[in-house]
Amino acid sequence: MTEPGATLAIESGACASARLDACMDEAATIRAAQSGDPEAFERLVRCYDQQVLRLAMNLLRNADDARDIYQETFLRVYRNLGSFRFDCNFSTWLYRIATNLCLDQLRKRKVRRTEPATVDTEEGELNRLETVPEARPAGDPQRAVLNRELRSGIEQALNGLTPRERLVFELRHYQGMRLREIGEALGSSEEAAKNCLFRATQKMRQALGDFL
Amino acid sequence: MNCKDVRELIPLYLYGELSFDQEELVEQHLAGCAECGAERARCEKLTSLLAQGEAGVSAELLARCRRDLAAAIEKERGRRGFGIALRAFWSRWVVSPPMWVRPAGALAMLALGFFGARLLPEDSPVLGPLARSSPPPVVGKVRLVDTTGSGEVRVQYDEIRPRELRGSFQDERIRRLLLAAASDPTDPGVRVESIDLLKERTADAEVRRALLDALRTDENAAVRLKALEALRPFAQDAETRKSLAQVLLTDKHAGVRIAAVELLANVREPDVAGVLQQLLHQEEDQYIRQRSLKALAEMKASYGTF
Repeated sequence: MTEPGATLAIESGACASARLDACMDEAATIRAAQSGDPEAFERLVRCYDQQVLRLAMNLLRNADDARDIYQETFLRVYRNLGSFRFDCNFSTWLYRIATNLCLDQLRKRKVRRTEPATVDTEEGELNRLETVPEARPAGDPQRAVLNRELRSGIEQALNGLTPRERLVFELRHYQGMRLREIGEALGSSEEAAKNCLFRATQKMRQALGDFL
Repeated sequence: MNCKDVRELIPLYLYGELSFDQEELVEQHLAGCAECGAERARCEKLTSLLAQGEAGVSAELLARCRRDLAAAIEKERGRRGFGIALRAFWSRWVVSPPMWVRPAGALAMLALGFFGARLLPEDSPVLGPLARSSPPPVVGKVRLVDTTGSGEVRVQYDEIRPRELRGSFQDERIRRLLLAAASDPTDPGVRVESIDLLKERTADAEVRRALLDALRTDENAAVRLKALEALRPFAQDAETRKSLAQVLLTDKHAGVRIAAVELLANVREPDVAGVLQQLLHQEEDQYIRQRSLKALAEMKASYGTF
């Protein structure tokens, strides 16, 4: 059982997939879920839901939005699982749904051009930057200030990326997906994903130059 | 490979996303160039710093998401179960009922029609139109649509024999005939004329729906163009935008796609940016490509990626 308030150590896509392979045959589970077995569907959700939630949280930096994306992603999976024909990996299909939803949400935000500095949580208002774990929360105050500045810089740099650059960067850097998988999940080519990652890293490098 | 090339490739090198040959060239260069080696160290530091940019996901949040999802799935299952039961009932008793039920069903329908007609008052909404001396036209085919000098609309149509009706736009029968003519499959000329007249009445939601249908589905490009022109004032409207996007991505006629891109290019909405980006992957017409690129640049949206 996880301690309340603890931050989950979430696995990368490859790791979760390996876990799934180890504990069950994914294709058999999907077929069982397709034929209406609720436990099989729940097993599928449990195998991938942490990755989906982390993806949404990292991209949207807002717990409510991340919850909406999580729910909508798995509801769409539930509704459309019958039409999944094993043409691609289940994880690719799932990521395609989740990333499209995140992309839509990011595009909406880009138009609004405003993002709240705080989020409403069950415990009250919380600064978004404080959702990011600190390397050394207590101790050296100078270090704590530096960490805050760094996180603020990263936040600004991420906001400077276009929605697609941010998505590709997130999938490669934080989710550990290969560019080929990213291209498949986004319905695009590996080359296009590579260009996108290249632009994103250039922008991040430029924006965070003071910290290097 | 010079220093500039290598520095551009260092991030992809660190992600392990270069081809074998490229990686080999970068490593050879890095082995002999101190400045590029320093840049590599900076990029590695950037990668480690970015680890701090990862948002945490709390166990409570995950548990809450799972609870909410379980409730939503349960609701979805209930809805689906009711749908399945309804379909089973329909299929069992209405689509293919047992043989013994069929004569009884036919008799019941006959009796319902016979007694129902007697029970309804003559001026009821069901029987009223049948009893009136001047029934609304039942259109077989619309032959001609135009306006007279006095501002009346003239529609020629067939019932059993060709008939003519004159009246103002406010006349419900004229309105109905125009809407029917806008989708008359036999004569594109009549459809164009009807849409031309209907464009003055776009405040009417039914008229707008007819125009959207024509834009999306009419087989004649001139009709689709006319419908598109009539919808011009509604380019900001979400449904119209959706139809314009569909046309832009699927219409076979370049003229229609050009008209659609001209309209959409002035709409600053994120979904439009997405459509234009998608368009760049498939569009072969140079003008449309240039127009899309310009619009994306004006929106400050990127292009050439997806």
